[in-house]
Amino acid sequence: MSLSCIIVEDLQVAANYLRNCCEKSGQVEVRGHFSNVTDALSFLNSNTVDLIFLDVEMPGANGFELLDQIAFSPKVILTTAKSEYAYNAFQYNVSDYLMKPFTYQRFMEALQKIQPSKETISTNSASDHIYIKTDGKLIRLNNDSILYIESMGDYVKFVTSDNKKYITHNTIKNLEEKVSKQHFLKVHRSYIVNLHKIDDMRENLLFIKGNEIPVSKANKADVFRRLNIV
Amino acid sequence: MNNQKIANAFVFNTEIDKTYLESLYGDDYIYLQEVFNTVLNDYQSLTDNIEYSYSSGNLTALKAAVHKIKPVFGFVGLTAVQNQCQQFEKICVSAGSPNELAGDFETLKNKLSQSKQILEEEKKKLELFNSNCS
Repeated sequence: MSLSCIIVEDLQVAANYLRNCCEKSGQVEVRGHFSNVTDALSFLNSNTVDLIFLDVEMPGANGFELLDQIAFSPKVILTTAKSEYAYNAFQYNVSDYLMKPFTYQRFMEALQKIQPSKETISTNSASDHIYIKTDGKLIRLNNDSILYIESMGDYVKFVTSDNKKYITHNTIKNLEEKVSKQHFLKVHRSYIVNLHKIDDMRENLLFIKGNEIPVSKANKADVFRRLNIV
Repeated sequence: MNNQKIANAFVFNTEIDKTYLESLYGDDYIYLQEVFNTVLNDYQSLTDNIEYSYSSGNLTALKAAVHKIKPVFGFVGLTAVQNQCQQFEKICVSAGSPNELAGDFETLKNKLSQSKQILEEEKKKLELFNSNCS
């Protein structure tokens, strides 16, 4: 088993089918099935998982409200096919949609998409630089030159102090473990910032060279701890 | 059970898309029986929700309730009913009041009732089939 997941789905036949697919794959351990957001949130307040299979339309709160309230950024596969959720899906780093019912082959395709892309970045967290793979070449970025990193679905954008933007196939979750902890901190599910570049902070926003970066409730305490407040 | 010859011996109701079911479950008729059981366990509450939403005149809730049951029909191979639900969802969006979709609702309601009968019959057939094969 390489991935842990939960299933948030109020349709029992769909939840059972998903569980069956997970077991058949041998790659995903199902740590729970929840038929509403409240129960899922209660579990996720004291547990983390790599992946959530998430229905959007459920009684009470919808699936995106769950993602708003959890303190980490798991991969998400939506089990809905409504195109009206596309914008939200992008914002929440959704990896794929599965239209119910889906075949096992389609399930495996979705699973392929969430495997972390370990080849697109080369670094160790103590280094003063990283290499990113973009446009078919490896580019060195010094930690001091990076302002922030922004999630773009299955891609991330590195914004540098010379106002250049580099897009590479990776995830915030994967990068969070790889970049220098001295320099960088995840402040939102979609953002990692260079702590040395923060100009100011107001309410739930950080400002870096005129760029407005949201700070999530879950990460705000970490940000305060890491800032050199006197 | 993983014997295609045995599986081919099972004759589905003509309303059920056998090819579609095979794409989901292969020849695992034991699991298919579980699927029919699960669907029938939830069927009444799903259809009650549709009827309640219609009778209370709440088109948004009605659309959501039909949307919720729609994939259920896919899981049991009633793909035509799944499509009918899809069409009804569209009608809900364009209708200004419940009266405007009274006829379509009656058609859907009858279809849901017929589908339940089919599911119950198929479940019994599957139970018999699987017990004979074991």
